[in-house]
Amino acid sequence: MNFSAIIGYLGMFWDGFLVTASVSALSIAGSFIIGVIVAFGAVSRRPAVRRLARGYIGLFRNIPFIVQVFFFYFGLPEIGIYIDAFTTGTMALSIAVGAYAADVLRAGIENVDTGVIEAAEVSGLSRLKIYRRIILPIALRVSLRPLGSVFINLVLTTSILSTITLNELTGNAKIVASDTFRPFEVYFFLLLFYCVLTYLLSLLINLWHRHLNRFMRGAE
Amino acid sequence: MRNQGFNWHDPILWAQGLGVSVGVFAASMILGSLIGIFIALCRVYKVPVVAPLLLVISEFLKNSPVLVQLFLVFFGVPVLLQVNITPAEAAIFTLTGNTAAFIAVIAISAMDALDRGQLEAARSFGHSERSILRKIIAPQALVVAMPALIGLAVNQLQVTSLISAIGVIDLTKVGQILNQRTWQPFIVWAIIGVTYFVLSRVLAMAGGRIENRLRRHMDWAGL
Repeated sequence: MNFSAIIGYLGMFWDGFLVTASVSALSIAGSFIIGVIVAFGAVSRRPAVRRLARGYIGLFRNIPFIVQVFFFYFGLPEIGIYIDAFTTGTMALSIAVGAYAADVLRAGIENVDTGVIEAAEVSGLSRLKIYRRIILPIALRVSLRPLGSVFINLVLTTSILSTITLNELTGNAKIVASDTFRPFEVYFFLLLFYCVLTYLLSLLINLWHRHLNRFMRGAE
Repeated sequence: MRNQGFNWHDPILWAQGLGVSVGVFAASMILGSLIGIFIALCRVYKVPVVAPLLLVISEFLKNSPVLVQLFLVFFGVPVLLQVNITPAEAAIFTLTGNTAAFIAVIAISAMDALDRGQLEAARSFGHSERSILRKIIAPQALVVAMPALIGLAVNQLQVTSLISAIGVIDLTKVGQILNQRTWQPFIVWAIIGVTYFVLSRVLAMAGGRIENRLRRHMDWAGL
C-alpha cells in the first residue's frame, strides 16, 4: 500500500467534500421539513390524510434510492423540467429520506402525552401553534437520536449521487482512482473519510439531544 | 434509430435481473447471518483479540457507504492482491460482510434481552454450553430478534440495487439497459420500482408470518 500518491489529489477530495457537505445539509433540512409534514399527516384525525401519509412512507421506504434517483434524473427532462444533477439529487434525497424521518417523528408524536395536547387546546392555542410549539419540541426529545441515525444514513447515501454524474466525494474519488491507478488506497481513504464524517455528525446530534433534554434531569 | 420499442425479450431480461437480485440477496443474507452469529458469539464470550478486532471492522462497515465498499472490493482488491474478481463475487463478498455487521448487532442485543436466571438454571442442571446455546438461547433470541431481522432484510434487499454500479446485471442494471434503449424512463423505472416494492412487501409479510409462528410457541398455554 502506498498512500503518498493521494497527497497530490487532496484538493479534489476537498472539492468533493464541499459538494457532499452542501448536498447533505440541504437534504437534511429538506427531509426534516417533509418528515414533519408527513408525520403530522400520519397521525391526522382524517383517515384520507392518514392513509396518504402512510402510503408515502411505505412507498419511498420500499423502493431502492438508486431507482428513485434514476426515475427523477431521467424522467424529469422528459416532461420538460431541466435541472442539474445537484438539484435533482438534493430533491430525491429529501423526498426519500423524508419518508424515514416521518416514520421516526410519527413514533415520537404518538408518544406525546395527550393530556398536554388537550391542555394546549383548552388554552385556546391555534392548531398550528400546538403543532409547532407544543407537540414537535416534545416529540423531538424522543425522536432526535433515531432521527440522527436517519441523517447519518443520508450522508452515506449521498455517495449514490455519483451515479448521476454528481462530482461529490465518491465521484471525485473515482476520478482520482483512475488517475493514480491506486484504487485500493483511494477507496480505503474515502471509507475512513466517511467514517470520520458520520462520527462528527453523531457527536453533533448527541450535543443537540442533550440541549433538548436539558430540563429533563433524571430522565436520562 | 430502430429497435426502440419494448419487445418480447424485455420480460425475459427483467426476469433474469430479478433472479440475479434475489440470488445475491439470498446468498448474502444466508452467509451474512452465519458470519454475523459467529461475530456475536465471539463478542458475547469475549474471545480475546478476535472480539475487539471484529468490533472495529463491523463499526467501519456500518459507518461507510456500501457503494464505496463495493468499489474498494471490486476495483481496489484486484490491484492490491493481483487477483481477478468477478462483479458477482465482489457483490456477494461485500454484501455478506455488510449484512454480517448488522446481524451481529441484532444477535447481541437479542441475547442480552434474555433472562439471566434461565442460563444459571440450565447450567446448574448440567446442560453443556453448546446445548444451552442451541436449546435455550437460540430459540428465544430468534423470537426477540425477528422484527429487527425483517427490517434488516427489507433494507438489504434495497442495498442489492447498488451492485449495478460495479456491473452486475441485476434488476437495476436491467432498468438502465432498458432505459437507454427505449428512452421511456417513466415506464421503465416505474416497473423496476414496483418490482422492488412488491418484493419488499412480500419479504415483510413472510417475515411477519414466521414471527407469529415462532411467537405461538412462546406463549405458555397454562396448566
